[in-house]
Amino acid sequence: MNEDFINKWISQVKKGTLSFIVLNVLKSGKAYYGYDLINEIKKITEIEIAEGTLYPLMNRLKDEKLIISEWVEQESGIPRKYYSITSEGKNTVTKMEEYWHNLNNSVLKITK
Amino acid sequence: MKLKEIQFNDQSAERIYKDYLYRIRKEVKGLNQQNQDEILMELNSHIYENLQEHPTGNEVEKLLDILEKLGRPEEILKPLVADKKLAEATKTFNPIHVFKALLLNLTNGISYIIFFILYLFLFGFLFLIGAKIWDPAQVGFFYKPSEVFILGHSKGFVDPADERLGNWFIPAMVISAVALYLIITLLLKLKRTINK
Repeated sequence: MNEDFINKWISQVKKGTLSFIVLNVLKSGKAYYGYDLINEIKKITEIEIAEGTLYPLMNRLKDEKLIISEWVEQESGIPRKYYSITSEGKNTVTKMEEYWHNLNNSVLKITK
Repeated sequence: MKLKEIQFNDQSAERIYKDYLYRIRKEVKGLNQQNQDEILMELNSHIYENLQEHPTGNEVEKLLDILEKLGRPEEILKPLVADKKLAEATKTFNPIHVFKALLLNLTNGISYIIFFILYLFLFGFLFLIGAKIWDPAQVGFFYKPSEVFILGHSKGFVDPADERLGNWFIPAMVISAVALYLIITLLLKLKRTINK
C-alpha cells in the first residue's frame, strides 16, 4: 500500500467536496459563523477539515452568490460573521446532490 | 467595524497572538481597508470562539493548538487575497490594483501570464512616450517596406526620415495605451464571468 499516495488522494477528495459539504450544512436555512460551521461539519461527518481553508472557500461561495454573510455584534465586542444560503445556493446544492448520487452509483458499480 | 483584540492573562499567549495578527496584517496589506478588516476580524472571531469553547487549561497551549489547526497566514490567505484583489481591481479600473492583482494571480494559470504580458505592452507604450520626449529623433515608429519596422528606439541604425508618426507619435501611444488598458480590464471581467 502506498500511504503517501492515499494521503494525497484523500486531501484532494476532501478539498473537492468541501464546498458540497458546506452547502449541505447551510441548506437547512440556519445561519452559521465560521467556527460553528467547522464544528457542525466535524459533528455530522467526522471529517477533519483544514480549518484555514474554510474562509477562502466561503469567500468564493459568496462571490458565486450561493451564500451571503452578515456581521452580528456580540456582547464580547468581537462580532461573528454569519453565513446563510441563498435560493441560488439551494438550487445549486440540489443539482450537486443529483450528480453526487450518480457518481456514487457508478463508483459502487465499478468497485464491486 | 474595527478589530477588538482578545485579552490574555498569560503574556506569552498574548505575544503569540499579536505575532499571528501581525502576520495576517502583513498578508492582507495589499487589499483595501474594508477587505483587510473583514479578514482580520473573521480570523480573530475564529480564535476567540474557539478559546471560549475551552475556557480552562493553559492559554499558550490552547492558542498554539488553535493557530496550528487554522494554519499559517502566509498559506491560508494566499487564495483569499488573490481573489479579493482581483475583485477590487476589476471594480475600480485602477491600474495599480490591476497590476497587483495580476502579480498575485500569476500562479493561477497560463491565462494570467497572457494578461501579464499584455500589461507589459501597456507599460511599453507609456514608456515610449517618455522616451520620445527624451530622444525625439531616435524614438518613433520607423517603417520602410521590407527594410525597417521598429516601434521604439532606432539605436541610430535607421534614417530618421523613415519615422512615420512625427508629432502624432505621443497621441498614438496614449490612445494605444488607453485602448489596451480598456481591453485588458474588459477581458479580465469577461474571464471572471466565464469562470463563474
